[in-house]
Amino acid sequence: MAKEILRFENVTKAYSTTPVINNLSFSVYKGEILGLLGPNGAGKTTTIRLTSGVIYPDTGRITLAGYDPVTQGDEVRKRCGVLTESAGLYEQMTALDNLLFFAELYAVDAPRQRALELLATFGLAAVAGQKVQTFSTGMKKRLGIAKALLHRPEVLFLDEPTTGLDPEGTRDLLNYIKELNRTEQVTILLATHLLKQVQNLCHRFLFLDEGRLLEAGSFSELETKYLRTIKLQVETDLEVEGEHFAGYPLVGREPGVLHFQLPGKAEIPLLLKAILQNAAVYAVAIDGRDLETLYFKVREAKK
Amino acid sequence: MKARAVKAIMRKDITAISSNIQLWLPMLIVPLIFSVVLPSILILSARFANMSKAGNLEAILDLLSKLPAGTLRDKMLSFDTIEQQLVFFTANYLFAPFFLLIPLMSASIIGANSFAGEKERKTMESLLFAPLDLPSLFGAKILAAFMPSILLTIFCSLCYGIIVNVFAYPLFGTVIFPQGNWLVLLGWVTPALSLGAILLNVFISAKVKGFQEAYQLGGVVILPLLALIIGQITGLLLVDSFFLWCFGTALVLLDLYLFKRVERYFNRQQLFTSQVR
Repeated sequence: MAKEILRFENVTKAYSTTPVINNLSFSVYKGEILGLLGPNGAGKTTTIRLTSGVIYPDTGRITLAGYDPVTQGDEVRKRCGVLTESAGLYEQMTALDNLLFFAELYAVDAPRQRALELLATFGLAAVAGQKVQTFSTGMKKRLGIAKALLHRPEVLFLDEPTTGLDPEGTRDLLNYIKELNRTEQVTILLATHLLKQVQNLCHRFLFLDEGRLLEAGSFSELETKYLRTIKLQVETDLEVEGEHFAGYPLVGREPGVLHFQLPGKAEIPLLLKAILQNAAVYAVAIDGRDLETLYFKVREAKK
Repeated sequence: MKARAVKAIMRKDITAISSNIQLWLPMLIVPLIFSVVLPSILILSARFANMSKAGNLEAILDLLSKLPAGTLRDKMLSFDTIEQQLVFFTANYLFAPFFLLIPLMSASIIGANSFAGEKERKTMESLLFAPLDLPSLFGAKILAAFMPSILLTIFCSLCYGIIVNVFAYPLFGTVIFPQGNWLVLLGWVTPALSLGAILLNVFISAKVKGFQEAYQLGGVVILPLLALIIGQITGLLLVDSFFLWCFGTALVLLDLYLFKRVERYFNRQQLFTSQVR
């Protein structure tokens, strides 16, 4: 089993009298990409801030790589890279100067070489000398990630990294995150509410709501737990009279397409075998087999 | 303190000031008017116009006659003409408040830009997410605001000294500036006052949303307060440099108190919640 790198134990946090994190406990393991999911105000950003030690928990304990963010904040921050929603760059400075400045704050060795290397990695080498204020949102996000990676952090926090990016920019960024995790084993916590984007990226998900942990697990674990019945969409020329076929309820029909409800995946080959004995099958798909469906299932079950 | 980070923050802040013409141009023009234009006009007028026929001199002459006994009174009485008295008194005493206002104004502007500016540009959170201790962060930001304001004051004082001595030399046959009090003023009181203005701006920046608001609030809260102090210092200039030393020392103690308050007031969480929206 991978080594635990981050642990929250019964953490609570309130701003004035408003609770934002409510008895939150979870662990993150080295090399994981963990999706922090939840609506606005769920506590995703607060979780990242607590972990970085820029705000302190009211009760409970947090450790990152064995260090306490409250009492050993700088040790924690040395090991973390953070991309905030606004990227936190100096608009009047060039891309290279921004990286050189932050490289000094993080005491990076050979700062110029590292900055140029990251600019090249993120496709910004040609605009290294341009002021950030001339950059598009996507370029700023890429530079923000380069900034967060300057000191080769063990853990990378990405807060809404794809907000404001076009589809191409989003795809490139998500591919890079995946590659970074694969090649350098960087543990990544990714806070987002854009579920479709991270479904195939994250190894595990934490579902938060009003600062509480609703559920945690991998996609397949959650699917097994929450998708108790399956809706199967079959493109076929089968003609069905009535509301059942081969004992399986028919829940919808369109010209050339039938929708069945099955108690589990194991029933799929049985149904298909029955159909194929009577007609041709051109395509099969499980309806609602995505993170968004799971997200609403979890929320429905837990609220 | 982390020297590498401190240097980087100072370099960034000072570069930001020097590359922002809207920030440094007013900071340069007003001091140059005080240190070059006005003294030139005054001394040349005294030299080339007949002062005995000029009006409104009674108030100044009255002030000169009421000077307390001591070095200054003796010095003034040693001059032969009213022009010499007027130029000497104006150059060495009446212009003094301007040289307190120059660092004060620049320290306030740079201080407001430095602290509230980070908040406005949403870059403070990037600094707080870095492994940078708060004394290093504050030390760097305070020094980055302090150094340009002191350098500007020294530059203006040098310009002023050259103008005064060059234009007044034919009248006195010797250099008349600076007198001993000025060295205490510029070397001891002015830095302490600038530091105070910057430290007060740190507190103001925690309460406001951006640079403009910090600067305006600074103008309303800090400047009248410091104008009062300036008035007192100018009065002390007329008396004895010993009192100026004491006054400067009191300001340094006040700065130390403010610095301790800044250190105590801001832990990372307080700073983060006040600076990051």
